[in-house]
Amino acid sequence: MSSRATIEAVAEHRQRFDQQLAEVSDPAAWDAVRVEWLGRKRGLVRDLLSAIGKVDADQRSQYGQAVNALRQHVEASLEELQRRLEESAAGSSVQNLDVTLPGRAIRSGAVHPVHRVIEEIVDIFRSLGYSVAEGPEIEDDYHNFAALNFPADHPARDEQDTLFTRDGRLLRTHTSPVQVRTLASRKPPIRIVCPGRTYRNDNDLRHSPMFHQVECLAVAEGITLGDLKGTLEYFVKQLFTKDTRMRLRPSYFPFTEPSAEVDITCPFCQGSGCRTCSESGWMEILGSGMVDPRVLAAQGIDPDRYSGFAYGLGADRVAMIRYGVPNIRQLFEGDVRLLRQVTS
Amino acid sequence: MLFSRQWLGDYVDLPDTEELVEGLTRVGLNVEGVDVQEGDEVLDLEVTPNRPDCMNHLGVAREVAVRFDTELRMPEIAEAERGDAGIEISVEDLDDCPRYVGVVVDNVTVGPSPEWLARRLTSIGVRPINNVVDVTNFVLWEMGQPLHAFDLDTVAGASVRVRRAQKNETLTTLDGVERKLDPGVLVIADADRAVALAGIMGGADTEVKESTSRVLIESAHFHPTVVRKAASKLGMHTDASHRFERGTDPEGCAGAAMRAAHLLAEFAGGEVRPGMVDVLDEGRCWHPEGNLDLDRLQAFGGVEVTAREVERILAGLGYDANRVDGGWRVTQPSWRYYDQEAFREEGEVPEMWPADLYEEVLRVVGFDAIPATLPRISQPDAGSSLTFLADRSLRHRIAGLGFVETISYAFESEEANQSFASILAQADPVEVRNPVSESFRWMRRSILPGLVEAARFNQRYGAEAVELFEVGHIFSVDGREVDALGLVTGGELSTPWDRDRGWDFYAFKGPIEDLLPNGSTFESAELDGFVTGAAAVILGANGEQVGQMGEVADSDLAYPLFACELTVDSVARPEPAPVIPPSRYPAVTADITLTHAADLPWSEIERAVNAQRAEELSEFGLKDRYDGEGVPDGAVNTTIWFRYNAGDRSLTQDEVNSFQQLIRSRLEEEFGWQAKTSN
Repeated sequence: MSSRATIEAVAEHRQRFDQQLAEVSDPAAWDAVRVEWLGRKRGLVRDLLSAIGKVDADQRSQYGQAVNALRQHVEASLEELQRRLEESAAGSSVQNLDVTLPGRAIRSGAVHPVHRVIEEIVDIFRSLGYSVAEGPEIEDDYHNFAALNFPADHPARDEQDTLFTRDGRLLRTHTSPVQVRTLASRKPPIRIVCPGRTYRNDNDLRHSPMFHQVECLAVAEGITLGDLKGTLEYFVKQLFTKDTRMRLRPSYFPFTEPSAEVDITCPFCQGSGCRTCSESGWMEILGSGMVDPRVLAAQGIDPDRYSGFAYGLGADRVAMIRYGVPNIRQLFEGDVRLLRQVTS
Repeated sequence: MLFSRQWLGDYVDLPDTEELVEGLTRVGLNVEGVDVQEGDEVLDLEVTPNRPDCMNHLGVAREVAVRFDTELRMPEIAEAERGDAGIEISVEDLDDCPRYVGVVVDNVTVGPSPEWLARRLTSIGVRPINNVVDVTNFVLWEMGQPLHAFDLDTVAGASVRVRRAQKNETLTTLDGVERKLDPGVLVIADADRAVALAGIMGGADTEVKESTSRVLIESAHFHPTVVRKAASKLGMHTDASHRFERGTDPEGCAGAAMRAAHLLAEFAGGEVRPGMVDVLDEGRCWHPEGNLDLDRLQAFGGVEVTAREVERILAGLGYDANRVDGGWRVTQPSWRYYDQEAFREEGEVPEMWPADLYEEVLRVVGFDAIPATLPRISQPDAGSSLTFLADRSLRHRIAGLGFVETISYAFESEEANQSFASILAQADPVEVRNPVSESFRWMRRSILPGLVEAARFNQRYGAEAVELFEVGHIFSVDGREVDALGLVTGGELSTPWDRDRGWDFYAFKGPIEDLLPNGSTFESAELDGFVTGAAAVILGANGEQVGQMGEVADSDLAYPLFACELTVDSVARPEPAPVIPPSRYPAVTADITLTHAADLPWSEIERAVNAQRAEELSEFGLKDRYDGEGVPDGAVNTTIWFRYNAGDRSLTQDEVNSFQQLIRSRLEEEFGWQAKTSN
C-alpha cells in the first residue's frame, strides 16, 4: 500500500476508518478492520508511522503527532466497538425465538379461601389493637354452654345442634369458649379475635357439619353499645366495601345482652334487592351483642365496673360471598380446580 | 311463626305493612316473609327462644303498641270467682306444676266453629276441628296460654291429679300412639289412670268428640324443664310444649281459662259452671325486680334517653317502674319471669341485672338511634397466639412451594380412621356419640386420610398431578389436640415441553426436607397405610418422632400417591439466628464417584464424609446414581459433588485435590466395592 505521507492524507485515513467502523456489526468484520489498521505486519497505522522519513523535515513533528492521534483514535474506537459487540452477544443477539410460545408451566400453590378470609379478618382486628386467641375444638359443657349462660335443659341449646363425644365432651359449636377461657385467665382490658373450626349436627345443602367462625371480644371499663356499633361499622367497611351499610336487629344469644343480628347491604345487589337476599337488600352476616353480665361475673370480672361486646361471623360464608362459591360443602372437597383459582 | 295482620289489628292500630315490618324488625321480631291472603296479610316472624310472650297475637301487638306509641286493646275477659265447680283437682308437686286452673262448661254442643274463628285459625295454618278444640287453639294463639279440653264425662271420678307417671304406665295420646311412660314424665291422671301428658298432648280416651256435652278446660303452668325433658324423652314437639318449655305466663292461666269458657258459652251454646278451681303455689314470686339508673343506662348505650321515654317504654312493656334516686325500682311482668327462672335458687328469684333492663329500653329506642363510636382503650392487647401465626406463615410457605391447601372434615369413617397410624404416640380415637352419619363418626388421629381422599377426588376428575396440603388439629381420646401438617403428591405434568416433571418418593422428599429444620432424619419403617419399603418415620433433632412419610398403600389409585405428616411444631421456623457471612473468594467444585454395594445407605456416606470433613468444605451432596453398564452386579456408582470455599483466601486446585484425596481414600476404604468383595 502506498500512501502519501502528508497531514492531509492522515485526516483522510481517519475519515475512511470511521466509515469502515460504522459498517461493522459482528466480531469477524471487527477483526478484519483491526488487522487492516493495527496489524503488526501490514497495518495502515504502522505504515503511516514508517513513512515519517518521507515527510519534509519541517513537517515531521506535526505529521508524527497526527499519526499518533490517529492511532489512539483507532485503538479506542475498536475497543469501544468490541465492548458493544460483546454486550449485544450476551443479550438477545441474533436468535429467532417465537415469543408467543407458552412458558414452561409452573404450578403455583394456593392458601384455602376460608383461611384467606380468616387472615384478612384477623388483620383488620390486629390493626385495631386486638390479639389472636385460640382454644381446643373438643370442649366441655362448661366452656361451650354453662359459662356462656346456656342453663342446662334450656331451649337455647336446641339451636346449637351439638355433636357430643362418647367420652362426655363435645365438639365446640362456636368459638365462644375461647372467650370464656380468656376471661378466666386474664384481667381487662381485653381485646381478642378468635378464629377456628366449629361443629354442628347439621348437614344439608346450606349447612356443613364443620365450619369456621371468627369472633371478637372487647372488655374494659366504659365500653358502650355505641362502641360495638362503631367497631362493626369499621369492620364491615374494611371487610366488604367502604359503601357497605349495616343495620342492627335486636335478637337473642344467651351470652350477650342486648344482642343484635347484623345485616349488611347485600353484596350482590348493593341493596337494591335480588334473589340472593330475597329482594330485601339486606344480608344477615354477623351475630353481636354486649357481653351478658352473668358471663363476666362467672369469670370473676365485676360487671358493675366492666362492660364489653362480642361478635362473630362465619368465615365460610364470607368466602362463599367473596369468591362466588354456591355450596359450602364445595369448600371442603379439596377440589384443586376450584382452590387454585383463589389467589387473592 | 305466623301472625295474621287482621288478628293483630283487633288489639292495636297498625301502620301500613311496610312500616309494620320495619318496626317489628327493629324491635327484635324479625319478619322473614309476608304472605298476602284474601283480605289479610300473614307475617312470618322469627321469635327468639327468650320471647315466648311474643308467640301469640297479643304479645306481638304489645310490641307494636310500644314501638309505635299507640294503645293496646285487651280482649274482654270475665272476672273469675274461685270455687270447686264440682270437680277435684290436686297437684302432687307444686315445683312441677305451680298452677292448675280448671273451669267446667256444661251443655256444650260440639259442632263447627263460626266462620270468623275458623278463618282466624286457617290464616295462620291451624286446621279447624270443632268449636271446642278451635276455641282452645284460638286462645293459645291469642294469649299464649296452652289449654286442654277434656270430655268431663270420661274423666273417672271427675277428679284430676297432676303427678309423675309410674314406671311402665302407658297412655294413648290424641294422635293414636301408645306411649310408654316413666317417672320422668308428668301426667294428668283421673281416679283410674293417666289421661294426658302434662303440657304436651291430651289422651285419646278423654278427647272431646261429637257426643261431648260437659267440658273441663285445663289452663295450667307446668315447669319449663319438666315439659322439656318429657317431650324430649318421648320425641314429641307440640304447640303447647314449645311454649311451656320456654315459659308461659303463670298469672295468665285464670284469664285464659275464663276467655275460653265464655267463648264456648257464646259459640257452642255452653253454660259456664260457677267456681273456677285454682290450685296455686301461693308463695312463689313471678315478678323479678331490679334497679335501673338513668345515667348508667345512657353510659351503657352511648345514647341520650329521657326519663319520660324510659317510663313510657317500661309501662308499655308491662313493667312497674317506681322512681327512686337517679332512676327506678322496676318490677318485671309475670309473662317475662322466665328470664330469671333458670337462676332461681331455693325458690328465690334473683335480682335482675341492670343490663336486662338496658336491653328492654334500648331495643325500643332503636339501635339505629345509637351513635357509632370506638372503644377508648389506649394500649394494644398483649400478645397474639403463636399457633395462629405459625400456622399462617407455614401455610403461605407451603403454598409457595406449589401446594394447594385443602380443608377436610375433622371426622371420618372408622375405616379411614384406621387407615393410617397417628404420629401421636398411643393415640386412641375420639368417637362422636351422635354423628351426622357413619362416615363422620371418628375424630381424626392423622391428617392423612382426609388428604388422601381429597387427592382421590381430584384423580377422579382427571387431575394429572396433585400437590395438596392441610394444616389442622388431630385428636386423641386422652385430650391431646395437636396441630399437624399433612402433604400429599402424585402424578406428573407430562408434556415434554414442560420437561416432564413427575412425583416420586425423592421428588416429594425434597420439599419436606426444605420444611424441616437441620438435624432432622428419616428412618425406614413399616407404617400403617404406606407401601412396605417405601416409608419412613421422621425424627426431630432430638431423636423424637415428629412425622411419617411414604408411598400410600392403596391399589385403587389412578397413579401412586406420596404422603407426609408432621407436627406443626417440628417445622415452625426457629428463632432468627445470625447469618454466616458468605466468603468473598471464589468457590472450587469437585466430584468423587464411588462404586459401592447397592444396599449401602446414603446416610452412611454422609457420615463418613462428615467425619473427614475439612473446614474449607462448605457443602456436598448427591450428584447422581448409576447402576447400568459397567457397574458390577450388586453395586452402584454414586457421584458426589463437593464445593470448597475459604473465608480468608482463594483455594488452590492443589489444596482441593488433597482434601478430596482424603475423602476419597476414606470412602474407598469404608465402602469401596473392591474392598468389599475382598472381605
